[in-house]
Amino acid sequence: MTNTYILVPGSAPTGGLMPIAAQFGGTTTLVVIGDRSQAEAAAESGADRVVWFPTGSDEPAEAFASAVARLVASEPGPVLAGRDPASRVLLGAAAAALGAPVIVGAREVNAVADGYRVTAEVFGGIALRTTEVDGPVALLVDGGATVDGCPPAPVIEQPVVGLPIAQLSLQVDKGAVAHLGSAARVVAVGRGLRSQDDLSLVKELATALGAELGCTRPLAEGLDWLGRDRYIGISGQQIAPELYLALGISGQLQHIAGARRADVIVAVNTDEKAPIVAEADYLLVGDLYDVVPALTSAMGATP
Amino acid sequence: MIVAVAYKWAGDAQDAVVRTDGTVDFTRAKAVVSDYDAVAIAVGRKAADALGAELVGICVGGPDAATPMATKSALSRGLDRVVVSAEPGLGGSGPTRTALALADLVKGLGDVAVVFAGDSSIDLGAKMVPAVLGGALGWPTLTDVAGIEVVGAQTRVVRTLGAGVQELKVALPAVLAVATDAAALKAPGMKDVMAAARKPVAKIEVTELGPEGDIVTTAPLDGPARRGIKIDCSDPVSAANQLIESLRADGVLTPAGGRR
Repeated sequence: MTNTYILVPGSAPTGGLMPIAAQFGGTTTLVVIGDRSQAEAAAESGADRVVWFPTGSDEPAEAFASAVARLVASEPGPVLAGRDPASRVLLGAAAAALGAPVIVGAREVNAVADGYRVTAEVFGGIALRTTEVDGPVALLVDGGATVDGCPPAPVIEQPVVGLPIAQLSLQVDKGAVAHLGSAARVVAVGRGLRSQDDLSLVKELATALGAELGCTRPLAEGLDWLGRDRYIGISGQQIAPELYLALGISGQLQHIAGARRADVIVAVNTDEKAPIVAEADYLLVGDLYDVVPALTSAMGATP
Repeated sequence: MIVAVAYKWAGDAQDAVVRTDGTVDFTRAKAVVSDYDAVAIAVGRKAADALGAELVGICVGGPDAATPMATKSALSRGLDRVVVSAEPGLGGSGPTRTALALADLVKGLGDVAVVFAGDSSIDLGAKMVPAVLGGALGWPTLTDVAGIEVVGAQTRVVRTLGAGVQELKVALPAVLAVATDAAALKAPGMKDVMAAARKPVAKIEVTELGPEGDIVTTAPLDGPARRGIKIDCSDPVSAANQLIESLRADGVLTPAGGRR
């Protein structure tokens, strides 16, 4: 019988992973790399068993990659993990140990003659691709929400010694962290903004809307106007807010793939032919320098 | 001692087009050594100089990855030499096949202390190759690395996480994927380009291609249907009021932030 592994560094959510794991049939094993409370919380997410690698306070999950790979290789099966950096490192180690192809953005799995047929989103959801794999497979899946409240599964503790990585210090920088992934509203700005000083215009609107501030890649990486944790796109943040306001953003594939799952998209752009037009629920063809202050005061004026 | 940098010769996904059958057309995307990889080379150069090591670029890809234009482009970023495996079966291949071919190149180099890689490839952007490479070599692997410092036998790695800045000690050899802002980039000068033409390039044949799924179907995936309602902007104030009214009617401006 197939046993599917879900790799869970710390308190990484498994809500998106459990339904995909279920499509393989058989049993599901959560491999938790974290403290006791994280292992116990994971045990209530509906899996059949939990294998727990206890971590010390100075031991990052990545330090356990080899141990996780050995566990998975000892009884091979499909492996799933979320999109956070530690999950990727663990999934990569497991894929190498199994000789399994990695498929990113998996949405559906079907068993076929000697393997699986996996349908996945490519480029952050601009196309679907169905791939047939004739052995174990490693899937990167959106983590989704945290699952709890299921009857607790047995937890098998597996201590590891002699880790190759140890944390020496951690400086927490709370003020600077962007929470784009969980924001209900996001106001994003692109090259339509002429200077860094003008960001204040956009920030005022974001505050008035109770929104997080985002941007396109050039603003975060070429110009350095905003932190790289704020850029939205295929290789940046992929978000699904209720409201997405795209200001001075042309809407290139690289960017829009990161925002396509928004419920409502508003575009403010001077170019009526920009790709963003096809992606917008509301389109304001105009200069963001006129429209943004008007929106800010309109939000301020009405309760 | 060798410091290696894994880089890719690839087109930017920004210039790719999705065809109506769901396949992705990269023909308009000109291949480059991406800024992600250039940052990895810059960080690698600093580490190699500190260690007194040679800086070797490793690359796997389709046949164009071994063209003089490709290798010179990488070498002009500061590599001492390049080792490349280029053949059709490696062009556009997935993370596992790519990483296993890179692992073979690393093993062939011998005394490698660190393999650096960029944050992401610009064509696929899966951010999985460094992880599979580290797994294949059995070496510790970290991503989002801002810099490294080597003091005797110990390596200190600084990385930027969502929560802040973390300093770690890592046993070498290791695979380190660097953060996009780990080094400032400057375009290669004429001297760098001239020097690149004289640096060694070795082509290594791949004996066995790693596992890869077979694509059976593709389909375009439209985003949610959009309404495309145009709001006249000749008067920005009334346009703003009209938009906010509409968004309230859609229920996306509720004070508590709605469903979250």
